[in-house]
Amino acid sequence: MDPINISQTARTPRVEFDFKTNKFVIAGESYPEDVSTFYGPLLETFTKFLNDSADAQISFRFELIYFNSSTAKILMELFEALEEAAGSGNQVVITWAHEAGDDNIKELGEEFAEELSNAKFILEEIAI
Amino acid sequence: MSFDVFQREEAVILQARTLLAANAIADAEAAAKYEELLKAYEKLARTTRRLIKLSDRNEEQLNELAHTLNQKNETLATLSDKLSKYLAPQIYRSIFLGRSDASLITRRKKLTVLFSDIKDFTETTEDLEPEDLAYHINNYLTEMSRIALEHGATIDKFIGDAIMMFFGDPESRGIKEDAAACITMAIEMQRRARELRTRMAAEGFERPFHMRIGINTGYCNVGNFGSADRMDYTIIGSAVNLAARLQTHCDPDGVLASYETYVLVRDIVDFEESEPVNLKGIRRKVRTFAVRSLNDPPVDPSRQFHFDQEGLKLSLDLDKMVGNARAEALRSVEDVMHRLRALTET
Repeated sequence: MDPINISQTARTPRVEFDFKTNKFVIAGESYPEDVSTFYGPLLETFTKFLNDSADAQISFRFELIYFNSSTAKILMELFEALEEAAGSGNQVVITWAHEAGDDNIKELGEEFAEELSNAKFILEEIAI
Repeated sequence: MSFDVFQREEAVILQARTLLAANAIADAEAAAKYEELLKAYEKLARTTRRLIKLSDRNEEQLNELAHTLNQKNETLATLSDKLSKYLAPQIYRSIFLGRSDASLITRRKKLTVLFSDIKDFTETTEDLEPEDLAYHINNYLTEMSRIALEHGATIDKFIGDAIMMFFGDPESRGIKEDAAACITMAIEMQRRARELRTRMAAEGFERPFHMRIGINTGYCNVGNFGSADRMDYTIIGSAVNLAARLQTHCDPDGVLASYETYVLVRDIVDFEESEPVNLKGIRRKVRTFAVRSLNDPPVDPSRQFHFDQEGLKLSLDLDKMVGNARAEALRSVEDVMHRLRALTET
């Protein structure tokens, strides 16, 4: 699979999906005008990648400053897909980075992580 | 088919509907319960979908509002920054922090007031083109304002080439400390004025500025004066008039203080007292004290000490004592102490 690199805009995050190193990043703000148009193809490709992965080491880093409710639903989908992949024998590490003092983003990450039992979850504070 | 945020839920619903359509559940009662559960799940999915849409719309509006608010804040910040140039920074801070009200309130307070002006300014500058005059006067006032702000003075106003400022309000370090800050600032202003004269001469200006400074400490009325629509934060009172009069009486390039200021700062600055003078608008004769150490480096309290009270004057400068001078000074001071003790013990 070819890597996916999308630059950050005012409403959409930076996306870096590297299917060779199995490292994935979503960073910035996320409140796209149409969440399906932005995330649909990404989720589709990523789900396909996960379905094809076995015994893989997968690292997903979320570094979000702000996101809307639709994005929250997408993030839950991603968490669920990653959790399923971890349950299928892959080693999955999810890093949830938040700016120091941003308790809202920190707590959202912790809540998403409550559904995880197989994937490893790391909470990371970014100094500002 | 385009991507749907709820495609996982839709897939579950489709699977359940197919199951029901195929009569895969043999028990009729169980099938009815299953359908009831499915309907509730469908309703829950629809509700969640609507809630997310609503939430997105609200967030969108909030974002727009926040953006508008940011723009308004930026406009206000630019505007207040421009307006702040017309106010003393202490007053600006005081108003913006909510410590002062923009109302006609005044109070009585002991302040140290300073007036400065340029000697014969009109005659000195009459041959200058307006642009050159603006350049030199703005340069001079900018330099003096910078020094004033460094020392914590409240700049009351510029009156042509004159500057009126004071220490003690809205922030005060104490009456004595305010007076000390004022006299130290005045000395630095004169030092800087001397440097400016050199520069002005180098730039071809034939008659560089000579500044006079008058300082007085006393009770003033400080606060907002004027009307409810247009007010000035300023000071009034006889103490202010005396500072202004002292400035007119001061020698060019000098600093002239009243007795009230002198007694507060005589420990740190060397003064020369002149004969009491009559000043316009003041009935009594006024004792005046000219700063003597204008060209000296700033006083080092560990090397210099001045004491002056009725019957005893002491001026100590360790750096000026050479040879046996220190031993002789010590003997003299011990003799004074011996005499004072003998007097107090009897």
